Amino acid sequence: MSETVVSCTGVTRTYQEDTVPVYALRGVDFSVQQGEFVSLSGPSGSGKSTLLNVIGGLDRPDQGTVIVDGVDLSELSESELADMRLHKIGFVFQAYNLIPVLSALENVEFIMQLQGVGSVERRQKAQNILESLGIGELGNRRPGELSGGQQQRVAVARSIVTGPVLLLADEPSANLDSVTTRELLDLLRDLNEKRGMTIITATHDPMVMSYATRQVRLRDGAIEQDETPVTV
Amino acid sequence: MMHVADPKDDLPISGDHPGALEFRARKPMGAGIWMRLLSISWRNLWRNRRRTWLTVCGIAFSVWLLVFARSIQDGTFELMVDNGARMLPGHVQIQHPEYEASPRMEYTFSASPAIDRLRGTGDFEYISARAQGFALVSVDEKSFGAQIIGLEPKVEGQWSTLASMLSEGRYLQRKGEAVIGRVLARNIGASLNQELILLGTAKQGGVAALAVQIVGVYDTGQAELDRAIVQIHIDDFRPTWNLSADEAHLVVALGKSLTRSDVGLEKFRSTMDEGAFGTLGWRDLMPEAEQLWDMKQISTEMFFYIIALIVGFSVVNTFMMLVFERTSEMGVMMAIGMKPGYLVAQLQFEAFLLSVTGVALGATLAGALVAWMGETGMPLPVQADELLKQYNMPDRLYPNFDWRALFIASGIMMLGTQFAALIPGQRVFRMRPVDAIRQEG
Amino acid sequence: MLKLLVQLSLRNLTRHKRRNLMLFAAIAVAVGGVTAMNTLIRGFQADMLDSAVSNLTGHIKIYAPGYRDDPNIQRGFELAENFQPDVAAEDLLGWAPRIRVPAVIMSERETRGIQLVGVDPAAEVISFLSTVEITGENLTDSNDGRVLIGRELARQLETKVGRRLVIITQGADGLNREKGFRIAGTFDSEGTSLEKIFVFTGLTRLQSMLDSHSVTEVSIRLRSEPKTISVKEVLIDFFVGLEVRDWQELEPQAAAMYIFADGAIFIWFALMMSALTFGLINTLIAAVMERVKEFGMLRAIGMRKSVIIAQVVIESTIIMTIGVAVGLVMGYLVFLFFADGIDLSAFAEGVEGFGMRTKLVPVMLVSDLVLVATLSLALGVLASVYPAWRAVKITPLEALRR
Repeated sequence: MSETVVSCTGVTRTYQEDTVPVYALRGVDFSVQQGEFVSLSGPSGSGKSTLLNVIGGLDRPDQGTVIVDGVDLSELSESELADMRLHKIGFVFQAYNLIPVLSALENVEFIMQLQGVGSVERRQKAQNILESLGIGELGNRRPGELSGGQQQRVAVARSIVTGPVLLLADEPSANLDSVTTRELLDLLRDLNEKRGMTIITATHDPMVMSYATRQVRLRDGAIEQDETPVTV
Repeated sequence: MMHVADPKDDLPISGDHPGALEFRARKPMGAGIWMRLLSISWRNLWRNRRRTWLTVCGIAFSVWLLVFARSIQDGTFELMVDNGARMLPGHVQIQHPEYEASPRMEYTFSASPAIDRLRGTGDFEYISARAQGFALVSVDEKSFGAQIIGLEPKVEGQWSTLASMLSEGRYLQRKGEAVIGRVLARNIGASLNQELILLGTAKQGGVAALAVQIVGVYDTGQAELDRAIVQIHIDDFRPTWNLSADEAHLVVALGKSLTRSDVGLEKFRSTMDEGAFGTLGWRDLMPEAEQLWDMKQISTEMFFYIIALIVGFSVVNTFMMLVFERTSEMGVMMAIGMKPGYLVAQLQFEAFLLSVTGVALGATLAGALVAWMGETGMPLPVQADELLKQYNMPDRLYPNFDWRALFIASGIMMLGTQFAALIPGQRVFRMRPVDAIRQEG
Repeated sequence: MLKLLVQLSLRNLTRHKRRNLMLFAAIAVAVGGVTAMNTLIRGFQADMLDSAVSNLTGHIKIYAPGYRDDPNIQRGFELAENFQPDVAAEDLLGWAPRIRVPAVIMSERETRGIQLVGVDPAAEVISFLSTVEITGENLTDSNDGRVLIGRELARQLETKVGRRLVIITQGADGLNREKGFRIAGTFDSEGTSLEKIFVFTGLTRLQSMLDSHSVTEVSIRLRSEPKTISVKEVLIDFFVGLEVRDWQELEPQAAAMYIFADGAIFIWFALMMSALTFGLINTLIAAVMERVKEFGMLRAIGMRKSVIIAQVVIESTIIMTIGVAVGLVMGYLVFLFFADGIDLSAFAEGVEGFGMRTKLVPVMLVSDLVLVATLSLALGVLASVYPAWRAVKITPLEALRR
């Protein structure tokens, strides 16, 4: 089955930096089907992060429509957008993903607590997801006691444990060395191929781009190139 | 390579098409999330121990200050009032209804009914009558004016501090005897065992003349008492000034405690006929005591409020720094779906934990100090000697833990801390997750 | 170099306007609070001094020996005709000779014990008599045979201006004298004990009543209190054989309160500043910690430890200076607001017991302001020691690595 998870039409976003207007997105049309692994790349200022934020409901376009999993984001209030992000969309950021004072397990549990999931169920799920990502034994450690790569894995765990339709990753490898990046990317590919997780990542790292099944390049707020390279 | 789970794992990959409606029905959050927020708050305190401790200490300091200062004042006050009462006025006085405004010889009343009624309350330990008036006092040719107080030495001698402050001789015991103040003695050139002539106007006119022997000279250090009073036996006063055997100007009573005297006075007032007597409690007899007390209370409270304000700024400061440092982290939390309200609530929890700890610390310190001083007393500086004599204060203070001060101090500090944390905390509401995440935290 | 550091500090301060604003506010409140309280305490102190000094005591008093134990006209001393105390004119406010003896005063209805004071009204510019509110007339001169009594005493005697009173006192021969006096006027000294005790009449008339040419005391009022000691020395030499006492000896209670006030000021300051210190250290350390990279970099390029310390101390000093300046201004404004005096009439009896007036007028001493400012700045420097030490412990390596 191939449903449209994300559908952007004519999305425009301009913001002011000091007195100069920045045209982050100019009438972008973009859609993502379920099961795709998309990379958004481009020089800084190209709008890749802005597009990601708009899709994730972290930013509202000035013009155009964004529909995620059948929901028109413009119809939602801020509070409802937050709920959307909580239930439907998973986020992994470059840094600061985890609550420093909670253990890895507690961090994964936290998002379920926000959803009101019962304590037995969530503990089980959290433990399972950590194990399935190969870090089951690190559950009791706090982020400060984990390496960069391990932290990102916990972040991924947290972002998918609630079964979102979409996983958004903004420069997920920026703070990692190449070996760890590869491990993280293998994980993401696994999620995408074996479990059909739809993934969109904004990145400037060629290695990340190479893992994507569809590479979208942006420049100056518009899509320059949109390819689905043949994978070996 | 990592282990990959079975695709049949209970993880939904994509939902149906719920439409916008689903998000309009909010799911209530269980107690679990609040407990978690509380736990996060507690753990956050340990992230920067030094800052936490300094903030807590600031709060503790202000609580300690108010409680300790009030405890000292509290302990002193009752003692001071009691000492003052025992010098002359007593805790309670019953009088002719017009005597207070115009203390004239004519305004007498029958003492026994009043004494009986006071005794009936069960709150007083010593009750006796006094008859008094102004007279010329002389030895040989020198004369001076003074207040002659006829009293019952068997009763008053048991509680009167004045009776124990004799620089010469002894307190009076029977008819024909008198004690006078040292300054008065000096002014008229009298000395121990000399004969004193009292000359006044009796009730309803006529001369009141009496000769008594000075058996004691007292020195209280208070000018009023030492210069202007002569104490004699009431059984000498009455016949000399034409009063009958039960007539008196005052009935003086000492309560079993200061508070009991208030209780007893209320009972007396409620059972007597309207306007039958003038009834004065220690507050009426020594208004300056309560006023000084009030002044001190007010100045201590004002002091506390200023200090609380200063500490309040420091709390705002702390939370400002705190919020600033965690901007990126909070941005991410909001990005993954945590609503700003919960973040603000979490900050409020942190504020609460800080203030509770501070209050507990301050209260404990104050309590320990008060307990320790309750044993040994707190010595006062030497310069205070003159003051002490004048205001009947003992030379060691025994503090009395003031619970009311603790409630006030804790209440204000805790409310203040919550409010102070809210000032930078409310900025979270206006935070845009996108910007927050990018900020250098 | 210093200029550079100051510039760096100022730039740092403006970077965190909001955070530093809170600290400034705290310092301002602390300093302002202390300053305002100081003006009230100094006002209290001045009141104590004034009441002690103007209620006939003066700054210095001269007696014949034995008078204080036995205050009657026999223990008086004679003053030469053209007597003048040998005190510099710029120090001296005035001097007044008096007779003060205990006496009995009788109206038609009541009798009271009093202090009968024979005065020279012209000389009494130095005492409260010159400023007190009088109903009726004041005494005209030394020869005035009428009396001026307190309003409260008049009320107790149930008499009023124009009526007659009889006064009995002891003359120079030790025998009683009795004489009638008409009331010229009554004075109102806000219910203090002065109203109940003192009765004034003309000095010369009193001397003739007592058959004496003596006075029992000479009271000296100076322009400023600190001169008391030195003037007293002069007078001791001058008045051989007589007792010369200053107000502190004569009014030990007021003296005690006076000294107590100094202690109170110190305690206030210590407590306020302690409350301030917690927030101050927090902010200073935060300021240091967030510039770890910067300090590390500076050390790496060769800047000495002492410069780092200087930087922190300078920053702290600047913060303190601004806060203190604002605080002093705030304190001054509060002072102006209450400049007319705070009404204490609700505490009338208590206040009277202290010998105070029912209106507390604050007094601002420049020396206090200077002291507060100096000590606060010193505190700022002291509080920066720990943060500075922390800053210096940062090695260049770990700073750059962060």
